[in-house]
Amino acid sequence: MFKIEEGEPFVMTKNIKMEQVEQFLIENQNAHYRLAYSYVKNKENALDIVQDSIFKALKSIHRLEEIKYLKTWFYRILVNTSIDFIRKHQRMMVMDDEVLDGYLPQTEDEPTDIDLLDALDTLSPDEKSLIILRFFEDLKIDEVAAILDENSNTVKTRLYRTLKKLRIEIEKGDLE
Amino acid sequence: MKRMNKLKKEYDDIEIPPELDNLVKDSIQRAKNTKKKHSPMRNWSIGVAAAAALFVGSINASPTFANSLVNIPVIGSIVQVFTIETLIMEKETYQANMKTPAIDGLENEGLQTALNEKYIEENKALFTKFEEEIARLEEAGSGHLGMDSGYEVKTDTEQILSIARYETTTAGSSSTEMQYDTIDKQHNILLTLPSLFKDDSYIGIITTYIKQEMKRQMEEDENTAYLAVEGADVEFSSIQANQDFYITADHTLVISFDQYEVAPGYMGVVTFEIPSDILQDALVGDTYIQ
Repeated sequence: MFKIEEGEPFVMTKNIKMEQVEQFLIENQNAHYRLAYSYVKNKENALDIVQDSIFKALKSIHRLEEIKYLKTWFYRILVNTSIDFIRKHQRMMVMDDEVLDGYLPQTEDEPTDIDLLDALDTLSPDEKSLIILRFFEDLKIDEVAAILDENSNTVKTRLYRTLKKLRIEIEKGDLE
Repeated sequence: MKRMNKLKKEYDDIEIPPELDNLVKDSIQRAKNTKKKHSPMRNWSIGVAAAAALFVGSINASPTFANSLVNIPVIGSIVQVFTIETLIMEKETYQANMKTPAIDGLENEGLQTALNEKYIEENKALFTKFEEEIARLEEAGSGHLGMDSGYEVKTDTEQILSIARYETTTAGSSSTEMQYDTIDKQHNILLTLPSLFKDDSYIGIITTYIKQEMKRQMEEDENTAYLAVEGADVEFSSIQANQDFYITADHTLVISFDQYEVAPGYMGVVTFEIPSDILQDALVGDTYIQ
């Protein structure tokens, strides 16, 4: 796995920075693909998103000021590219009813007897981001907040609500 | 959290397509290459048409066609360079485009034949290597491979003809190698780097200059990087005695390095013009370099 040395000052030449970013992209490609796939649910589109994100990242590599932000920086690009993709292609995407429900306004007392396998797909893209980043990718609340460009408290509140929607019991500490 | 664990498992079970690895490497390489304008690399597209046929053909170019491909020689000059043969392969994941140059009109026919035969042999060998590599990849499952070779007339004056030949291999990442031939058309000889100088003091002079130039360029432009940095993995120490070179129309020596030789891959093939005045004392004469 790609490790980030804590406290290491970011004094490196441009090519070393490039190498580190390349290494990170190659080593974590599976995680990046899964993240993209969870949004678009289709291999070709997920591959397109990974490719697009790499292009965007390497083109704006100068904006990455400290290597320790590499992960949150790239995840932000990846999440934004995925959500953009969904917005642009929304009308053309083939969805089944349960997936579609996720995009429609939910009524409070709607029976929530959904198959667990599709549970995640009932969420909106933004809600999905929260669950994937916090629980599947195991990022800290602060990191999730940085990726989604929100403050930590908002993230916590929205996570809590989303978990409830998924009928997942939360234990103390899960949101910390 | 049982439901969450199931969900996470479902997420972890998302199947990773085998083409992901190549796609990631290709994308990195292409993103880096689009920053550089000079790369002769083509865009190797992942999703090209599904059923492309394989054909290998050779095109014996007509003089008109050849002229459209090369710098039209200076009027009065009778030496010409044209494409004598193009080897092409177009397959979904394997692509090759190899142009063989040929020289015509040199008085020294022995030299001309030797060079032309060398060009043909080299391109054939390259194509064979390409086919072998494909066979190896197919045996292992599948793969992506691209090879491009061709040439460029760098200089064509009354006196000098410099031809650059490039060879770009693309497999995940790409690498480019350059080779040059510089011919004295009046005396009908092939020039080598050592033959231009009295002794081998030129190696030190040119190396010192290039090191300074690398540092200067890196300070000036943050996008520029060379391995001249102290502490770099493979520090550039010296040019080779027979380093690749060519001579420009205004009699300047240009030293060339293959991709990856002295700089990270995204810099591509790098060249340095050496100011003639620092070479003066080491030169045999001022016929070629002034």
